[in-house]
Amino acid sequence: MRHARRLFARLKNLFGPGRADRELARELSAHLTLLADEFQHRGMSIEDARLEARRAFGGVEQAKELHREERSVLWLEQALQDLRYAFRSLLKTPGFAAIAMLTLALGIGANIAIFTVVNAVLLRPLPFQHPEQLVRVFDDLRGAGAQDVGMSVPELQDLRDRSGAFERISAVWTVSNALSGGDHSDRIEMLGTGFDYFQILGVNAALGRVYGPQDAVPGFSEAAVISDGLWKRQFGGDRNVIGRRIRLDEDGYTIVGVVPPDFRHPGKTLAGDVEVWLAAGMAADPMPMPIVRDRRLVPGAIARLKPGLTIQQAQLRLNALVAQLTKIYPKEYPAATKWSLRLEPVQESLTGSVRPTLIVLFAAVGFVLLMVAVNMANLLVARSSVRMRELAIRQALGASRARLIRQLLTESAMLSLAGGLAAILVLTLTKTSLLALMPADLPRLAEVQFDARVIGLACALSLLTGILFGLTPALHASRTDPNQDLKEGTRGGTASLRQNRFRGALVATEVALSVVLLSGAGILLHSFWNTLRVNPGFDPNGLLVTRIWIPSPNNPKANRYLTAPPLAAFSREVLRQVRMLPGIQDAAMGGDNSVPFVRNTLALRPFSLPDDPDSNQKQRSAEVASVNPDFFRAVRTPLLRGRVFTEADTDTTKPVILVNESFAKRYLSGHDIGMRMNYDRKDWEIVGVVGDVRDDGLDTPVAPRIYRALYQDADSNELAVFLRSASDSGLKQAVTRIVHAVDPELPVYGVRTMPEMMAASLARRRFSLFLMAVFGALALFLASIGIYGVMAYAVSQRAQEFSIRMALGADARDILLLALRPGVVLTLAGVALGLAAALGATRLMASLLFGVSPADPITFLAVSVSLALVALLACWIPARRAVRIQPVVALRS
Amino acid sequence: MSTEGKSRIQVLQGTLDLIVLRTLCSMGPQHAYGIAARLEQVSEDLLKLNQGTLYPALVRLEQQGWIKGKWDKTENGREAKYYAITKAGLKALGEETQRWRQLSSLVEKLLSEEF
Repeated sequence: MRHARRLFARLKNLFGPGRADRELARELSAHLTLLADEFQHRGMSIEDARLEARRAFGGVEQAKELHREERSVLWLEQALQDLRYAFRSLLKTPGFAAIAMLTLALGIGANIAIFTVVNAVLLRPLPFQHPEQLVRVFDDLRGAGAQDVGMSVPELQDLRDRSGAFERISAVWTVSNALSGGDHSDRIEMLGTGFDYFQILGVNAALGRVYGPQDAVPGFSEAAVISDGLWKRQFGGDRNVIGRRIRLDEDGYTIVGVVPPDFRHPGKTLAGDVEVWLAAGMAADPMPMPIVRDRRLVPGAIARLKPGLTIQQAQLRLNALVAQLTKIYPKEYPAATKWSLRLEPVQESLTGSVRPTLIVLFAAVGFVLLMVAVNMANLLVARSSVRMRELAIRQALGASRARLIRQLLTESAMLSLAGGLAAILVLTLTKTSLLALMPADLPRLAEVQFDARVIGLACALSLLTGILFGLTPALHASRTDPNQDLKEGTRGGTASLRQNRFRGALVATEVALSVVLLSGAGILLHSFWNTLRVNPGFDPNGLLVTRIWIPSPNNPKANRYLTAPPLAAFSREVLRQVRMLPGIQDAAMGGDNSVPFVRNTLALRPFSLPDDPDSNQKQRSAEVASVNPDFFRAVRTPLLRGRVFTEADTDTTKPVILVNESFAKRYLSGHDIGMRMNYDRKDWEIVGVVGDVRDDGLDTPVAPRIYRALYQDADSNELAVFLRSASDSGLKQAVTRIVHAVDPELPVYGVRTMPEMMAASLARRRFSLFLMAVFGALALFLASIGIYGVMAYAVSQRAQEFSIRMALGADARDILLLALRPGVVLTLAGVALGLAAALGATRLMASLLFGVSPADPITFLAVSVSLALVALLACWIPARRAVRIQPVVALRS
Repeated sequence: MSTEGKSRIQVLQGTLDLIVLRTLCSMGPQHAYGIAARLEQVSEDLLKLNQGTLYPALVRLEQQGWIKGKWDKTENGREAKYYAITKAGLKALGEETQRWRQLSSLVEKLLSEEF
């Protein structure tokens, strides 16, 4: 109580310290008067009494000082004093304060922005109970060079019952689905799971219930769980939605629950967030029967590790299981395929692909802040040389060096805190538009937000930056000799040699830092350029794609497009009608995996070549797509050998297949046309070889690929109409209308032009390039300001020297060279230093590069030259001024 | 703020506060000069202190709510700030006196102990 009371009294004294001081002064003078009275009473003269009173009292100033210490919190009082002083002195130079705050706000703001993303995507644990126990399970066939090939149902059961690694495990697969209702069907994103899915994640429904083990049936359970988004969009947020019947791919389901709004499936999706969750037992229709071990039906699995088991220990148990199963089933797991099971933390498999990009951006933005700090230090040193006199006076009046440093640091910390505050303010205001800049396929994008950690970082970063850029100039400025500086100050403030050298070092550092940043930006630019120059293997211009989902009901007999004839009939009818639209040059139909640049669910599928004696030893795999006879002509992919499909290739004729060039090169060594292939339990004949298409993205190597004939075997879950036309105005609506006219039950989606899809596939690259370019430009700008500032100052300082030289006969060229030299030396030193650092830095970016070596000579040359040019310009402007000095004027002043 | 000054204050602090409280209790409201004069008189100049050192003690005691200052006139018509002990101060004086006695008897006992 008494301490609290005292603390309160002391803190109160922080505000309005003047009142307490006046009161004390009055009291002390009263005290001295009483003492003097006493001495006078003892017979002293007035004068003597007064002197004696002072003596008896002791130091009045000490008493005041002690009193102040006792009544208030001294360091806090001084800090407040420093703050007020800093505020006043910054107000006196509003231009400096504004520029400083702006650059700081830029530097700190960029850091906070990137960190916010890094925090949400990489650092923050997934929003589930014990997220560290959540893993993805992948099947690899390393002998065939194939990863994530999916698992068979018996394997899934073994993992659950025999591995001893998991508490629970569930299959997961993303598919499109047709949600019927009203006059047409919508394509939605569905996640198929096992019955333990929600228990693994530990997620409960916000409304109703989630399905669980009690719902288990051999096929699909009727219980459907929907997303908050679908609930609001399709059902208007109606709380009575529980128990409603919905039709998905023509089957009836009952909505049992709605998941919380912030719940997202922690895995890759096809085109957006999952909207419906369905569970299946994987032991009945629509799963192909019979269930066999070598049919990898389950695309992926998610699991929760047994409590207390580390991921390494679990991996060991899986390795043991693999060894055991390989021994029991040698036919299903040939040794040559090197079948293995791999565990990956869910968080890593979700965000692993963006990790390198984010880390590089985070590093780059750190460099930007470093540059801002160096630039600020430079500005402050320049400023402190102007303030030399003020500091000298303060020191002469008794300010200790520590106090001076503290005061200067207060000033810089105040600046950077203000900058940080401004940054947060701007970021909060522009959050929505900044988020729109980010590639839409960034995982966990919805979780990006300011949290305590981000705010904490912003404050820490601001303070740290303030101290970083404030400390050196403060140490520097406070190391003054009052005598010398007062004299110098009156003469008009020439900075010492020491100071110039220091600023030079700062500028060289700035140049070096900007070389690093520009190299990063340059190398990304070069690799982006390379990406754009890649031949996609088809002509994307004027190509419009319209996707159609073919519902696959749980009862295969209910699937109207299960066999080739109806599918071919539908395709032919749609094509016949779209060809009548105005301006259509070409039209074709593709099946599964025929659309380039979209995230396909496909994995590499195994096949064998009976004619190839080696084939039985080696497991081979390739991507599989299906297309109609018009496809290659419409997309302008060249036929290299043999023939493409014809209308005559139907389900009654001999099964034929096409392969791409990569396939032929990798597996067929010369003999390709007429070769037999065994794939999907059937024999096929290779009738043609077509050119490679960069289906998985311009920057991804082409995989060996098999094309099946759409009209021959209808193993497609989706169709895509490819239209080539001069202009696509109104075309999108027209195609949708035609498809719905032919079959109103089929949902149409993803109507986009090929250039749009290519752009989307490059979104991440463009995003990181854009940011790096911004950072690089910022760096260049800061460096040139730094060089300019130092050079301009140096020239103004040497005005007298130049005048004397001119008076003695130096001509303009001599002076120009003389004035330029220090700047050129600094720049060259900085560039050399920066290049060395950049070589190390770009090596860390290797995974982001395409077709460029991390030590790309073009980039480094271009960066060095452009930086040298900018620096030269920044030096040249003040150097010109040196030439124009009027000797008479300069010498007189 | 030299370390020397600090340590001196620390040695004196508790004691000085107690003495000031005691003085105010027995003499009634008194100004700083009066307290100092009284101390010199009682200690027979053994306790030689700069009168200025009283002020930190006074502000401390006042902030703790144990004494309260009020401006008034002396009998000679000079103005002075008179400090009076408060009710809380009287209570604190009792407690502090008790504590001081315990401490001093303990120190006394330790010092007179034979080795």
